[in-house]
Amino acid sequence: MQAIPTIEQNEAAVRFDAVTKRFDDVVALNAVSLDVQTGEFLTLLGPSGCGKTTLLKLAAGFLGPDAGAISINGRRVNELPTYQRGIGMMFQNYALFPHMSVADNVAYGLKTRRVPKPERQQRVAEVLALVKLTGMERRMPRQLSGGQQQRVALARALVINPTVLLLDEPFSALDKSLRTSMQVELREIQRKLGLTTIFVTHDQSEALSLSDRVAVMSEGRIRQLGSPVDVYRAPTDQFVATFVGDNNKLRGRLLSVGDSDAVIELGSAQIKVPSERLAKLEKSAPVDLFVRPEQFCVVSANEPSAMTGHVVAQIYQGGHVDLQIECPGASRDRLLVRSAGDQAVVRWPMGATVGVSIQPGGCAAFPAE
Amino acid sequence: MIPRSTYQRMLGWIGRITLICIVAFLILPAAVVTIAAFNDKPILSFPPQTWSWRWFARALAYDDFRHGFFNGLIVTAWSSTIALFVGAMFAFAIDRYRFPFKSLIEGILVSPLVIPHFTVGLGFLILAAQVGLSRGFAVVVACHVVLVLPFVLRSIYVSLKNLDQSYELAAASLGATPFRVLTTITVPLLLPGLVSGWLFAAILSFNEFTASLFVTSQRTQTLPVAMYNYVREFADPSMAALSVMYIAGTAALIAFATSFLGLGKVLNIEQTH
Amino acid sequence: MTERPFLRTFTTPAALCALGFAAAMAAVLQYSLRAYVPGSLDPGGFTLANFADLLKPLYARVFFDTVVICAVTAVATLIVGYPLAYALVHIEQPILKSTLLVIVVTPLFLGEVVRTYSWIIVLGNNGFINSILLSLGLVEKPLQLMFTSFGVVVALVHVTLPVMVIMLAAGLSHIDRDYARAAESLGAGPIRVFLTVTLPLSMPGVVAGTTTAFAWTFSAFATPQLIGGGRVNMISNLVYQLGFASFNFPFAATLCVAGLALTAVVLGLLQIAARPLQKIKVH
Repeated sequence: MQAIPTIEQNEAAVRFDAVTKRFDDVVALNAVSLDVQTGEFLTLLGPSGCGKTTLLKLAAGFLGPDAGAISINGRRVNELPTYQRGIGMMFQNYALFPHMSVADNVAYGLKTRRVPKPERQQRVAEVLALVKLTGMERRMPRQLSGGQQQRVALARALVINPTVLLLDEPFSALDKSLRTSMQVELREIQRKLGLTTIFVTHDQSEALSLSDRVAVMSEGRIRQLGSPVDVYRAPTDQFVATFVGDNNKLRGRLLSVGDSDAVIELGSAQIKVPSERLAKLEKSAPVDLFVRPEQFCVVSANEPSAMTGHVVAQIYQGGHVDLQIECPGASRDRLLVRSAGDQAVVRWPMGATVGVSIQPGGCAAFPAE
Repeated sequence: MIPRSTYQRMLGWIGRITLICIVAFLILPAAVVTIAAFNDKPILSFPPQTWSWRWFARALAYDDFRHGFFNGLIVTAWSSTIALFVGAMFAFAIDRYRFPFKSLIEGILVSPLVIPHFTVGLGFLILAAQVGLSRGFAVVVACHVVLVLPFVLRSIYVSLKNLDQSYELAAASLGATPFRVLTTITVPLLLPGLVSGWLFAAILSFNEFTASLFVTSQRTQTLPVAMYNYVREFADPSMAALSVMYIAGTAALIAFATSFLGLGKVLNIEQTH
Repeated sequence: MTERPFLRTFTTPAALCALGFAAAMAAVLQYSLRAYVPGSLDPGGFTLANFADLLKPLYARVFFDTVVICAVTAVATLIVGYPLAYALVHIEQPILKSTLLVIVVTPLFLGEVVRTYSWIIVLGNNGFINSILLSLGLVEKPLQLMFTSFGVVVALVHVTLPVMVIMLAAGLSHIDRDYARAAESLGAGPIRVFLTVTLPLSMPGVVAGTTTAFAWTFSAFATPQLIGGGRVNMISNLVYQLGFASFNFPFAATLCVAGLALTAVVLGLLQIAARPLQKIKVH
């Protein structure tokens, strides 16, 4: 598991202070407050319509807030038009000017800043080298591949030394293999330049793999703000638990609540979970227990304290195998169980009766809904 | 709502003032003709001293206008309906099939867009004389069909392009004969395009003037030709009254089309983002 | 499904229409090569004399005037139409937008006669403008607006404006808004965004609109006839006059053919000039 990057606690690069935005009767953002630290890569993650794109557009100045304040580097920008904000932005479809060459696209922001020609040319050459596009200066955007277009879009946003880089789902148009390498590359460049970055995506694996911090959003609010590990391992509510990563939701009963831990009874098994969200519950109250597929262990059927079920589907994934197991005693839904390696294909064939146990630690529990 | 600098706001005001001036230019003639129509005196004068409805009554009672109106309806009904059938079938064929002389026929049929109407009118006039046809409705209708066909073709062709062919394939896979596919899937899905194409054709045909001036006779003259002849001979506000009725009728029709048929979409000017 | 169901049924009517129209155009071409027999409706033998007559100063002058009027009208319509098309695409309020759309589109369907007549009332010596100027004491006698090229061009701009606006708006509406946003994010102010991004990307619409405006103006008859009143003549007026006043159909046909050739040349030149713009893919 990778270490959580440490971020210096200085003045926030971008600050949203109780920002509200309505579209007619729909509340797109409901008093959202968020500090984006200098140099950090922060991801806004959520389903479509959660307000993440609205928040990004507010930072860019394409929209104005109905209430609340937005500041960039300590300066209030509510009334500042986009072109005076000094931001860099990458668009979903890149929005490369189709009538300008690569070099002209990249030089555009320098021209608006009246950078003299020799310096402009030098900076364009430098940034094109940074994104590995040297030699492509005279090409037109439509002559480039998707990955190359994205590099141009990045170069165009970087060359102006933006105070903050805004990324609006920039990887969604790329195919999967290219996407991963572009992500790694973008992150390396971002680290190297120490560039404050706000990244919008609905793809939770992208959010987990790239970010310093993730803000999980839903219905115009930030549901959880934390490192990818926090968000994955310690979701603060049922929405986050369901939305980020695969999860199994099981109905259990609260056995006991302690200062830090609580014990939940699930069939014949007892599972220890952090108690902070269960403190107000009475004993034997129903709770929703969230168990990640990789926290299940498939064991032989006669193992004591394991739930008994049988395999109804095998999904071979190469590096791991996903089993769907019906456990009538524990859950009405099928359990999704992830087994590393590929032995499970042979060991737990379709129809086999198996036991399922839960590895201690890493489960999340909430009062039943 | 959107953050704006003072400079941007100033530009916005300049833009608004420009827009108001242009809109004023656009509606000025209609406004002036409306004022003129209610002038009681038989000669033009601004502002009118006394007001009256009498020119409306006179316009409605004027024989040439009445004949022109009904002639126009006959010509419009025939030509737009024929153009709709011919255009719809041909648009379907060019969208789906390759066949000999495809682009030649298409090219000839859309060429009236760039050929001046007086040339088209003269052509049909000479042709009618050569084949010994009198200047009856047939010639007028034929001429109008040719003139409105490009618009019908375009309107339906765009609808066809937006039609997902997999519906037709699905129907065929469920055992529908080509005729059944056409009548139960293609035509119903194309209906908005067909209606707007027909409406477009009808309005254009009813208003067509230059070519009609060449191919109509005293007996077959349409309303625009009757109006033209009137303007050349008389100067009283009857024509203004008729224009007002004309403008009001057309504006109502357009407002209807805008709200019920989505004119913005038909004209292809809806913003995509 | 059979290979090409209904092919014959669907193409035959269209082919007949095309044939009829081609025959009409062939008739014009044929007449243009026939001699005029004064006093007779039937043309004489084949000759090239009509085309030689085109070079007479009287006719050459009309051709020249027509092209100038068309060009001035097309450019003026573009200048007046662009802000309107821009507003039509960018206005957000639905009511304002559809009102504007109705105002723009209605004149398109009014026909040339009604609109030209309205302009006579606006421009005439007892008309709206002169009445206002006289009553304000700005002029002592009425300004001569009717029967001038200026009056004809003003009315023609009004006639051509709707189609220009629709073509420009179609072009503008297909420009992804992210282009302007990207330019803004890179520090471009409103005027720079317009000049470097919006305007170049709308050039295909500009070319289409200008081309159509030119062709429509060329085709105009009632406006130059009624507002020009014989003092401003375009080819269309000459054709009508020759046909219906002197029954010289052969020469009228010759003028039509020459007009077509001229349109083709002008529009061809416009297309060639606009070729670099065709590469712009707005999507």
